[in-house]
Amino acid sequence: MPGGVSGYAAISSRVRARFSSLLTPQDVTRMSDAPDFASLFGALKNTAYGPYLDSLKDRDVVPRRVIIQLKKRLADSYDSVIQMTPVETRPLVKQLFRYFEVGNLKAVLRGIITVSAWGPETVLWDRVHEVLFPLGSTSRLPAQAMVESGSVASAVDLLQGTPYQETLSFAMKRYSAEQNLFALEVALDLGFWRSLWAEAGKLTGQDHEQGVRIVGSLLDMNNLMWAVRYRVYHKLSEEEIVNYTLPVGFRVKDSDIRAIAAGADIASIITRIYPAIVDVNTFLEDPQTGLPKLEVHLKRQIMKQCLSALVGSPFHIGLPLAYLVLSDLEVQDLIVLVEAKSSNLPADQYRPFLLKTIMPA
Amino acid sequence: MFFPKSMTEVELIVPTKDLLAVTNVLGSRGVFHQIDSTYLGLVNLGPSTWQEKAAAYSTLERRIQVILQALSMEEDYSAATSFNPSVDLDVIRSAVDRVEGEIKQVSDHLNAEKKRLEQLESQLVQLEPIADVNFEVGALTQSRYLYSVLGILPAANVSRLETSLSRVPHVFFVLREDSQKPVVWLLGPRSNSDVIDRAVKSAYLNPLVLPDEFTGTPVRVSESIRRSIEASRQEISKFEAGLAKLAESHHEELYQLLWDVHAGRITADAIARFGQLRHTYVIVGWVPSSDLDHLSQQLRSVSREILIEARPIERAGQHANVPVALRNPGLLGPFEMLVNTYARPRYEEIDPTVLIAITFPVLFGAMFGDVGHGLVLALFGGLLAYRAHKIASLGGLVIVCGLVATIFGFLYGSIFGFEDILPSNPFFKQFFWMHPIENIIATLGIAVGVGVVLLSFGLLLNLYNALRARDWGRFFFDPNGLAGLILYWSFLGLVVAGAGGFIMHQTVPSFVFAILIVLVISGALTGVVFSEPLKRLIEGHRPLIEGGIGIFAVQSFFELLEKFISMFSNSMSYVRVGAFAVAHAGFSLAVFVFAGLASAGTNMGLGYWVVIVFGNLFIVGFEGFIVSIQTMRLHYYEFFSKFFTGGGSPYEPLALPSARKN
Repeated sequence: MPGGVSGYAAISSRVRARFSSLLTPQDVTRMSDAPDFASLFGALKNTAYGPYLDSLKDRDVVPRRVIIQLKKRLADSYDSVIQMTPVETRPLVKQLFRYFEVGNLKAVLRGIITVSAWGPETVLWDRVHEVLFPLGSTSRLPAQAMVESGSVASAVDLLQGTPYQETLSFAMKRYSAEQNLFALEVALDLGFWRSLWAEAGKLTGQDHEQGVRIVGSLLDMNNLMWAVRYRVYHKLSEEEIVNYTLPVGFRVKDSDIRAIAAGADIASIITRIYPAIVDVNTFLEDPQTGLPKLEVHLKRQIMKQCLSALVGSPFHIGLPLAYLVLSDLEVQDLIVLVEAKSSNLPADQYRPFLLKTIMPA
Repeated sequence: MFFPKSMTEVELIVPTKDLLAVTNVLGSRGVFHQIDSTYLGLVNLGPSTWQEKAAAYSTLERRIQVILQALSMEEDYSAATSFNPSVDLDVIRSAVDRVEGEIKQVSDHLNAEKKRLEQLESQLVQLEPIADVNFEVGALTQSRYLYSVLGILPAANVSRLETSLSRVPHVFFVLREDSQKPVVWLLGPRSNSDVIDRAVKSAYLNPLVLPDEFTGTPVRVSESIRRSIEASRQEISKFEAGLAKLAESHHEELYQLLWDVHAGRITADAIARFGQLRHTYVIVGWVPSSDLDHLSQQLRSVSREILIEARPIERAGQHANVPVALRNPGLLGPFEMLVNTYARPRYEEIDPTVLIAITFPVLFGAMFGDVGHGLVLALFGGLLAYRAHKIASLGGLVIVCGLVATIFGFLYGSIFGFEDILPSNPFFKQFFWMHPIENIIATLGIAVGVGVVLLSFGLLLNLYNALRARDWGRFFFDPNGLAGLILYWSFLGLVVAGAGGFIMHQTVPSFVFAILIVLVISGALTGVVFSEPLKRLIEGHRPLIEGGIGIFAVQSFFELLEKFISMFSNSMSYVRVGAFAVAHAGFSLAVFVFAGLASAGTNMGLGYWVVIVFGNLFIVGFEGFIVSIQTMRLHYYEFFSKFFTGGGSPYEPLALPSARKN
């Protein structure tokens, strides 16, 4: 299938139509005003998520099941966009979708370590299963077999033939010595983002420009948050921070990451890159609550980049990518709301974590 | 054959004591399509233990599959007999534990040895680049001032590792370039060993660690490693032989266990979806009406107190939730596949498999008519059906299409493009009808005529479907309903009358025109313009017009325009049948022209026949592909869209492997 106008004519019109089904900041604000979980659920049923929530029986209307249904819609969006995307750019979208598979893999490994003491194997799989992203048949992870294998080493052995086997083969040596999932998780993250960046790099023309803009923005946030967390939380050394981050991105340069690793002032670096984010020092004063807020600000920067893909020619990969990233961020907002309403959290505790209530400047 | 199997909704009330026996009958007959009836059960009985049992069976099944994999045995359910529900889960679990224990001992050793072999081979790879350096390998770690690390790391991390060490003096060599696992050597001051260690670790560098017995120069160490590799390979063969022996001795037991666990899982999964009451279970599902009596007898033979309530479902009305079991003879399998690719028929509508089994090959054959090409295609189809089991259905379809193309080849008098051989033979002459390329207008006209007949037939089938579904709105006022049919035929009548007058200079009486115009207008008004309001009126829905008169008027105008265009284009779509019949002959002509050029006009010799052979192969492959797409298009977009809604739910009966075999 050709790219350009002919390749993107169908997908761009369909994706543009789907943009209209995304929730507006007003919708999110209205939902956040819902007095309880039941009202929120009722409001959600009147949105594009309605058909997914209609299938829930009354007894299944619990936060966990609702969140799975919200994620199912996201998974279906990915699936249909992948089918519509021109052959040349499809690997990039597929790799972006793999983000959720990497998340599932990490959840499976954590499940093996942390939940195994809770009960018999049957219960363990059920517990792990309910936190996995509903990828359906698109996932190549033998998740249940991995969980039932009972150990991380046996679980990783089951990954033969998947892209993760090679990534984890080096990290497993460290895991065997340290018995800590950190090494495996970092290796998986780095492997995923390297592959995604490489896929974006393979594109040409406008596809390349837009792919790098959106993938690079996602990478910027991750790279920056990794560097800050490794330094502030984990107190890692300069050489470790450099090795656990990537030298690529859209606005965040390798020199910025290396400067953070070397001990430079984090706030000034972030404010220089993102002048709109001014109160970084406040976030760093109390990293426990501050860093998630910083992440919210960075996610809004991503939203901004995604919205800019709507301007100008629509015949490139930017539009589908932007739609998928915005859908993902929207689901994150809804998960915040579902969890907040089901736990009766006061508004001031969850509103700062909503992305859509205040649109990026 | 023209409709899916007649289905009966069944509700069973089963005493708890007969639960397993009843489930076993349902599973082994393989005719019961289960519906989740947990909602009919009592909610205060707590979580079902059957869900836990199903999960436990599932875990055991997976464990047995892993054992089979370790023993290089195929999954096989040939041990399938009737399921014995009295086999205790704990008994099965302890049997699996025992067999797993025996096999695990050997397979763990085997895996450990394989890992050791992998490690030895990796060590050898790391030593190879420095094989010609004459120094003690152990000295690398014993230097007083230098700190050195030799090892492999992910290729993607090489440059980042170098970057991470930018603030300490160091020397970095890539000893062996490799796209996956390059071998590197890093040297720095011993005083910076902690920095180097952290960098090395965080870059996932796996340092070369040699066991104590490997000492000396790289050459000597490499030789020792090679000897160890040889010994390790022998050990692996020994363990593999041990596993083969275990496979032989546990063969029968493992397959029996697999069957027990598999049947147990399916049974437990099914029961978990029954509605549980205090002393009974409610089971709801669908059974083909023809199988109901036999199933009821069997159920009563295992449970005297069972209550069976059966509600046969009439075809009239809408039945979106009734599972659809098609009942076509096996020979029609390829055509059923074509229908299902479009959509599964609904319970109340006609299954078009038989129709497409006639029209698909006929339209294909008409476009691809050639005795030689048809036979080659049929032969290819036979090969597909015989050799490629996964696409055997497709093979069957190609065979039928090839044979019908052969028949049309006799009618067109064409064999491998030679159009004078068959008509000049006294025997074959009697089958000869015409050469499409010499009768282009007639060929195209007949094709459009066939299209009109097929489209009219499609509209009549839609009327029949609507009648059976008692969907009166659709029957009378659908664009493909009675009003649509009147519009289509009167529109065609107008076109024919107009064309007759213009082309053949025949005068058509003006009252005929007047009648046709009245019919066109009334068809357009009832079947297009007011179709939706009339349907809503007949179905009792209000308001009759949604969105205001203005929008309705604009929408109706464009729908009317689209209707007239589509009536014309739908009919003209079939002109491609004639066009391809002509093009087929045209292609053959082109091959002969090239063959003539290759033989310098002599029409003989090797060059001539080479072009003829390859040209014909090209026609069979290229045109065969295009014609099959066109045939599919004519069916899916023109014919099916007139009457076939689809969207039926699949019939998936509860079936243990023994039932599946039957």
